[in-house]
Amino acid sequence: MYKKRITPALIKLVLGIIAAVLAVLFIITTVASVKAGYSALKPALWGGMLLIAAIVLLAVGSSQLVRARQFNRMVEESGVTVKEEKRATIGDFFKKIFDGIKRFFLSIGNEFKDIITTFINGDWKTKLSYLVMGFGCLARGQILRGILFLLFEIVFIGYMIFQGGYWLSMLPSLGKVGQHKEWVNVGGISVEKMLPGDNSFKILLYGVLTMFFIIAFIYTWRQNVKQNRIAEEIIRSGKKLKSGKSDLRSLVDDQFHKTLLALPLTGILIFTVMPIVFMVLVAFTGYDGAHNGIANLFHWEGLKHFQELLSWSNGSNTYSATFGEILTWTLIWAVFATFSNYFLGMLVAMAINKKGIKLKKVWRTILVMTIAIPQFISLLYVSKMFAKNGLINLFLIDHGIIKLGQELPFWEDPTWARITVILINIWIGIPYLMLIATGILMNIPADLYESAKIDGANSWQQYKKITLPYMLFITGPYLLTSFIGNMNNFNVIYLLTGGGPTNPAASTAAGNAGYTDLLITWLYKITMGEEAKYYMASVIGIMVFVVVGIIALVVYNLLPSVKNEEDFQ
Amino acid sequence: MKKVLALMLALVMVLAFAACKKSGNEEEQNKELAGTYDITVWCAENIVDLTKKQIEDYNNNNTYGIKFNATVEPQGEGDAATKMIVDVDAGGDIFCFAQDQFARLVQAGALSKLGPEAAATIKEANDADAVAACTMGEDIYAYPLTADNGYFMYYDKSVVPEEHIGSLEDILADCEAAGKYFAMETNTSAWYIASFFFGTGCKSEWTTDSDGNFTAVNDTFNSPEGLIACKGLKKLLDSPANLSSSDGASFAQNAAVVVTGTWAYNGIKDILGDKMGAAALPSFTVDGKTYHMGSFAGYKLLGVKPQTDPHKAAALNLLAQYLTGEAGQLERFNAVAWGPSNLVDLAKDEVKSNAAISAVMAQKEFATPQGQIHGSWWNIAKVIGDDVAAATDDAGLQTALNNYKEKIDALIGLTGYIFVGAWCNWDNADMTMKMTETDGVLSITLDVPQSDYMGGRIVTAGTWETDRGYAQVTEGKDLLVDDPGNGDNNIIFAEAGNYTVTCNLSNNEITVVKN
Amino acid sequence: MSNSNNMPKRHMGLRTANTVSNVLIYILLVVICIVWLIPFIFILLQSFRVESTCQVGYVIPHTWGLKNYVNLLYSESSGLFGTAFSKWYLNTFIIALCTAVIQTVIVLCMSYALSRFRFKMRKALMQFMLILGFFPGMLTMIILYRVLKDLGLTQANAVPGLILVYVASSGMGYYVSKGFFDTIPKSLDEAARIDGATRAQVLWRIILPLAKPIVIYTVLTAFMAPWGDYVFASYISMGSTAGKNVAVGLYEWLSQDQIMNNYTMFCAGGVLVAIPVTVLFMCLQKYYVEGVTGGAVKG
Repeated sequence: MYKKRITPALIKLVLGIIAAVLAVLFIITTVASVKAGYSALKPALWGGMLLIAAIVLLAVGSSQLVRARQFNRMVEESGVTVKEEKRATIGDFFKKIFDGIKRFFLSIGNEFKDIITTFINGDWKTKLSYLVMGFGCLARGQILRGILFLLFEIVFIGYMIFQGGYWLSMLPSLGKVGQHKEWVNVGGISVEKMLPGDNSFKILLYGVLTMFFIIAFIYTWRQNVKQNRIAEEIIRSGKKLKSGKSDLRSLVDDQFHKTLLALPLTGILIFTVMPIVFMVLVAFTGYDGAHNGIANLFHWEGLKHFQELLSWSNGSNTYSATFGEILTWTLIWAVFATFSNYFLGMLVAMAINKKGIKLKKVWRTILVMTIAIPQFISLLYVSKMFAKNGLINLFLIDHGIIKLGQELPFWEDPTWARITVILINIWIGIPYLMLIATGILMNIPADLYESAKIDGANSWQQYKKITLPYMLFITGPYLLTSFIGNMNNFNVIYLLTGGGPTNPAASTAAGNAGYTDLLITWLYKITMGEEAKYYMASVIGIMVFVVVGIIALVVYNLLPSVKNEEDFQ
Repeated sequence: MKKVLALMLALVMVLAFAACKKSGNEEEQNKELAGTYDITVWCAENIVDLTKKQIEDYNNNNTYGIKFNATVEPQGEGDAATKMIVDVDAGGDIFCFAQDQFARLVQAGALSKLGPEAAATIKEANDADAVAACTMGEDIYAYPLTADNGYFMYYDKSVVPEEHIGSLEDILADCEAAGKYFAMETNTSAWYIASFFFGTGCKSEWTTDSDGNFTAVNDTFNSPEGLIACKGLKKLLDSPANLSSSDGASFAQNAAVVVTGTWAYNGIKDILGDKMGAAALPSFTVDGKTYHMGSFAGYKLLGVKPQTDPHKAAALNLLAQYLTGEAGQLERFNAVAWGPSNLVDLAKDEVKSNAAISAVMAQKEFATPQGQIHGSWWNIAKVIGDDVAAATDDAGLQTALNNYKEKIDALIGLTGYIFVGAWCNWDNADMTMKMTETDGVLSITLDVPQSDYMGGRIVTAGTWETDRGYAQVTEGKDLLVDDPGNGDNNIIFAEAGNYTVTCNLSNNEITVVKN
Repeated sequence: MSNSNNMPKRHMGLRTANTVSNVLIYILLVVICIVWLIPFIFILLQSFRVESTCQVGYVIPHTWGLKNYVNLLYSESSGLFGTAFSKWYLNTFIIALCTAVIQTVIVLCMSYALSRFRFKMRKALMQFMLILGFFPGMLTMIILYRVLKDLGLTQANAVPGLILVYVASSGMGYYVSKGFFDTIPKSLDEAARIDGATRAQVLWRIILPLAKPIVIYTVLTAFMAPWGDYVFASYISMGSTAGKNVAVGLYEWLSQDQIMNNYTMFCAGGVLVAIPVTVLFMCLQKYYVEGVTGGAVKG
């Protein structure tokens, strides 16, 4: 059952990283705030919050260390086999990356070597294949492969002549002549006739697509060369070449994964990878609402917008200070949203699972029902309930509990608003966690509890020593994904507060950010806002990627349950 | 076959000839536009059905032989621009929008200029403010649709007696006594906050060039009058009855007064019935002097998207004129009580007698025409509400105004080039150091005061991006210090004095002249 | 309970403690259920309020009626089921149905391949997709809109466009079902292979019947998601009534110029949207739990 220990070093490491990230953030925001001329109070406030978060983390962490040791001992004593594992360290992580890079360049070198030697050693069929793709296959009787290769080459050349060439040639300038207008008199009425010009957006889009196509062509060409070499080798060794029929058969058998993956990966390539490449490129252009690429062209602007984000010399208009603040709140939100749901969800699950509690199904059904109701309905309604003159405040006023002017400032006060969104997020999240926790709790072997009981452990001790470590161990990856999910939790914030209340210091040209805005809702505001600064949204998007990526990759690589994939089978 | 072709060719030539010859003739021109056009119209949800009917009427009655096959889509005037800007091509051929989005739409190329004939009609039928609302530079880009895009006060007669409606203090006292709210969108909307500032005579007037770029601002919010306005605003914000909302439904949620516009008229009438009152905004008293609250007087406009087919463009312009003409506006008033901008309609008794319209008219005396305002101003000015609410004394109020001023300066400063240096404490958002741009040549005349380091360079406003400095100086190098350790490429004056610095943007050549 | 004889006193103490804690738990659960259900009950009540159409400060309607529901589905000019809401509802239903089917196929292909095959680049592929997930998907909205527009799948044709967007990248959500497949013993595959079955046959005949919970889980989650999607749907329908889904349509009813007339209709619309999803969810709850606990936790 248990194949792995929780390594104390691992916990220490993860906590260390989180604490380090918090510390760095604290320094960044302080410097940014001070440079931007904010009152001294603000950095102090943020610093305090971060410090508390760090202390809580360290406290939780040290108790976790103790628990982990106890758990490990317990597992050993229960007689289940434990596989020793080498402890992962930060050094390993970087070494892995370094090795990867080294391997990458080595393999590219090998590819070139192979291409050249194949040409030198190959027969005339192979040599001709370098020019006419698939010729070797056709000449050796592999008709199906040959036709496919040849067809691809014809399509590619046709595309490049009629379309791709134009897009590529326009890519450096992103368009030369913009849309222009001329006056025409039609039926006695003077009107402007629009004469379309270049379209920067399309040039960028189809330029990127053409690049993708070229890469695909190079890859296919390389496969074509490789096929020739393999075919020659097979013939030399006196075996028979594969026929088209057996090619097809292998696609439902040995090579079945290619069939399975073809459709999903094409979708991901076109609808995820390509747009991301495109949006990364937008960060280096001047694409915004006024320069939408049609009425006014946009052009390459290099690193200008990155400097705009990172420079601290713009007075209160700076993106950097706003970015620092929002990033900090996003992380705080993600920590609270993830862990509050996690522990409270577990608590509810344990309450329902407890022996002697009746109507288990009813309780569970009521909670689960709320998952099914679309969030935009419930959240929009709840948001109105908590308004200054919403149901809750009016109820309190009507019953004389508070007076006019003493309403609870759920959405008006920054701190209240932040706490309220976290609480309402608990309302949203507990049912999911309850479900997951129920499933896991049922899997905990009863004998662990039995032996604990014999040792005289009370239920709190049992929870501390058995339930919690077990849950944390199993749900490690889930916690990570839900942490990232919460960082990008658009719905809850957008539907509840729309990012409000406004942050006087940040609410300027820098995207009109509010106190509860997460990076993702801020991005949305920048994209859909007054000036529609797509390039800035893109720059911030890249920053989000970097931050999330660093946190997640390090943690993910060190999580125990990810690595031992094979153990489950 | 050949015969038929020849016959047709001859026919075409004859027709073309005839058309040429009679080009001054009314009837022939009419035929030129005849045809069926597929169009999309974007307008507010509550006038969708009315607009459909109006287009149908137009199809049946026009003398040009124009038939529109129209799809009318509900699209709030508040965010029409947001959608248009994302993709002009996909937007409505004719679309309604609130005035504050005008400059953005012109910038994005979403509006076509009106021809001289249409422009003349607009100028004749509407007052100067309405025409100004749809003018950018020298050109008119849109048709005024309503003149009621301003706000005034709805109140519950059972809570606020008629004799109190002139005074903010009295109204607040009534509301507090009754435990009801005074709803005005004071902490989320600059549009409403400006009411107090206009009341004390403050201004925020913006200048644009013909492309929709904002080039200058005359803003007096940060002034003694502005401080008085803040004090008035503070009175409202500090009252327990304060509620930041412009939603007419607040009347069903414990409000006795709501400051909003004519669009809420029907809804509020449903809730309050006979108890509904509408009036101009009240006055507020600061240090013994009373100030009548001002407001924005704005317009809703109707625009035509640029078209590749001039026939369609002409037909659309005719339809737009019909929809915003005298009959069209009156129909809309009768159906949904939108206040007309058309002068003939405005003079009609039925229009004048409407409670909401008469309140708009009463408020109009104290209102400031909205003109063209920078899109970011709304975000900058709305913060005043929060800052004033947080302030505890006059110094705090002044800080709110200083913050505002700083952002406005940065905003307008950020659009050009600044000759930054020791003379402005290296403030790269200092408006006064902005170089004027004429025909691609930047120039600035400045006094360089005596100091240890009299250096500076030309940067894009608000950034430190620089590719113009000492190395680009072609004339007047003798006036400058050649500093070998000048890594920042600064222009360093040898002595204090008055200088004129010009820079040609096409080749980046800089000339320095001592005056 | 073999040790009860040894510790009779403690056992008694435990029993009372147990009763007390059970009572506390019951109280907790009742409170939780009330808190969780209140907003939904309120929405339901509001949808039957006919005396006014705007937001009000009370919960129980003064006059009850079905007018809001009738207005959603019927209008004089367009007849029964000819209203905009009916169109949005149908759109969403079609989107949800197609997405559920196609997405399930894609996710199962992806996760089965990644769970059962050991091919070159497999690890790299999984890491690559993980990294892709870190990029905020919202940004790609602008470009996806243009791509779909060039294909003619925006505005009035937004339905197929949205289906395409929803399913195209769904392969990246393979984690849960891969986790589930990982728990099905490989020996089953090997036995079938020895009997001469191809890999495809193994999937079809052996694995799929065992994977019923995860199939239903995938169908269910894919079916539920489109009902609540606002951002993409509003962007891709770009102002066209015919292309909106319920979330976009209803959300716009709460915009400033419409909320006074349409608030109670919003509540009624919300109830109608919640019904099919909730009913389906209730029926398939068992599988959902199995799916989510079988796969989700392992990642």
